[in-house]
Amino acid sequence: MEPKTPPYESRSQSQKSTPPPSSAAARLWRPAAQRNLRNQWSNLNSLRQDWRSAASAGRSHATAIVNSYLSQNTTLGARRTLVCWCFGMEVRYMDGMEFGVLSDMPNIRKKACSKLFKQQELYRGKLLSSYRDMVAIVTRMVNTCKSMRCYLRGTSNSPLAQFSFSLEDDSDSGDCGGIPVFAFYSVASFEELAWEMVRMFVSELNLKRLLVMELLYIYDEKVAKVIGICWSDEFYDGEFDELSLLNLYSEETREPVLPCLRGCKSSTSAVQSKQQQDSNVLQVYLTTWLVEVNIDRCRVDEIFAIVGGEMHVDFS
Amino acid sequence: MESIVKKYQQKFRRVKDEMCRWDELQSRLISQFSNASSIIQRLQVIQDCRNYGALKCVEDIENAVLAKQMESLQTILLSINKTMEEFHGIVSSLEKIVRDSRQLVKAGSSQPTAKQLKQRVGVKPTLAECLDGLRLLEEMHQSEYLLKLSVVSALPALALKPSESGDLVALQQLLVDQPNIPREEVQFIYDIVFAEEIS
Repeated sequence: MEPKTPPYESRSQSQKSTPPPSSAAARLWRPAAQRNLRNQWSNLNSLRQDWRSAASAGRSHATAIVNSYLSQNTTLGARRTLVCWCFGMEVRYMDGMEFGVLSDMPNIRKKACSKLFKQQELYRGKLLSSYRDMVAIVTRMVNTCKSMRCYLRGTSNSPLAQFSFSLEDDSDSGDCGGIPVFAFYSVASFEELAWEMVRMFVSELNLKRLLVMELLYIYDEKVAKVIGICWSDEFYDGEFDELSLLNLYSEETREPVLPCLRGCKSSTSAVQSKQQQDSNVLQVYLTTWLVEVNIDRCRVDEIFAIVGGEMHVDFS
Repeated sequence: MESIVKKYQQKFRRVKDEMCRWDELQSRLISQFSNASSIIQRLQVIQDCRNYGALKCVEDIENAVLAKQMESLQTILLSINKTMEEFHGIVSSLEKIVRDSRQLVKAGSSQPTAKQLKQRVGVKPTLAECLDGLRLLEEMHQSEYLLKLSVVSALPALALKPSESGDLVALQQLLVDQPNIPREEVQFIYDIVFAEEIS
């Protein structure tokens, strides 16, 4: 996230010089704004749980891919017979293995391999769909951040004040002149905290995209040809639309922004992918998936504690 | 005499409760230890930037991953220490049970005679068997606690030299085995004390 360009940067209240609202307007605005903020933050809270389960599902699919690949390697050359019933984890040694009495069966090797390939294909599909879930979750987070303001709707001389959460009138900044919504914080402060957290998830998502790409690349050329995907490919239909919403797609280069650590500049060097993966590299990939370098869990908890304290909601 | 034996059986039941708690802590400790050891075993791999494959395009990634792993390791080590404190709590309460049980025989009259100690009523255990049994159970847990303590205190040092990660597997096995608490022997003690309840 480069601080200069994000299109979704929160609008600070200084940008618009809304006159300080009358106390009557504030009295009407506050309950609606409070309700909205409570809703949005409990959305954020459940979204972070959703992220956790999607990321851990993704991790188990990734582990399955890696394990399946590694077990092919370690058993390479091992001479075993009659194992073709255990189709689970053994692809690589199909080649060197002896099928014993089964070798008389027509096409046994080919059949076993194709079955194994299907299994791996399944893991790949699952990993991709976890990634897809994560994109959707982060997209919802970003939308939630954008819906923290509460605007007055309709004419001001109507006896019934109505509020909306989408901008209708440019002169209304939706924060009631920056007054505290609950005790101390203005809408802008709530937005700032929300963005601080959501940015962590956005950059982590981008890093995970790279890992997904690499993990989908793992395959055995002896078993089947997988057409690996590269960074500039759209992983699924509509991915780029969602990524641009997250500011992760560069219109300039017409490809997704390269991943970087939170607060750092993304690198300009291209992604280099090797097809043959070494087991240490795969271990690093899985570890990187697990540790979520971009998400500072303590800070996220702290943000929810601050916000929860302010609005008297327990988010834990 | 019989009422004292009843009181002893009560004590053995309390020890049993403590041992149930011990088993819970034991499985907690094993999972904490294996989490710690899988991190330690990865440390060397994740410190080597050659292992980062396509992630190399992300600047400083290896330091960030390492920092995160060290952070988790730290957290696990702290929770291991907490578990050890709870183990210690069990050992202390076993000690107290043994101390109280010694008082129990003295309480009624003066020092019981050797004959009284070995006097047997039906299938009920003798006082000597009760005293020895409690003391034995306490000793087992005491020494097992000390063993565990020395195993877990080796962890931080192993984190600094991950090349010796083979040791981790051996240490974990030692924790799992609990050599100081032989199951059959424990069962034997309980069989004697509660012989009447065995049908």
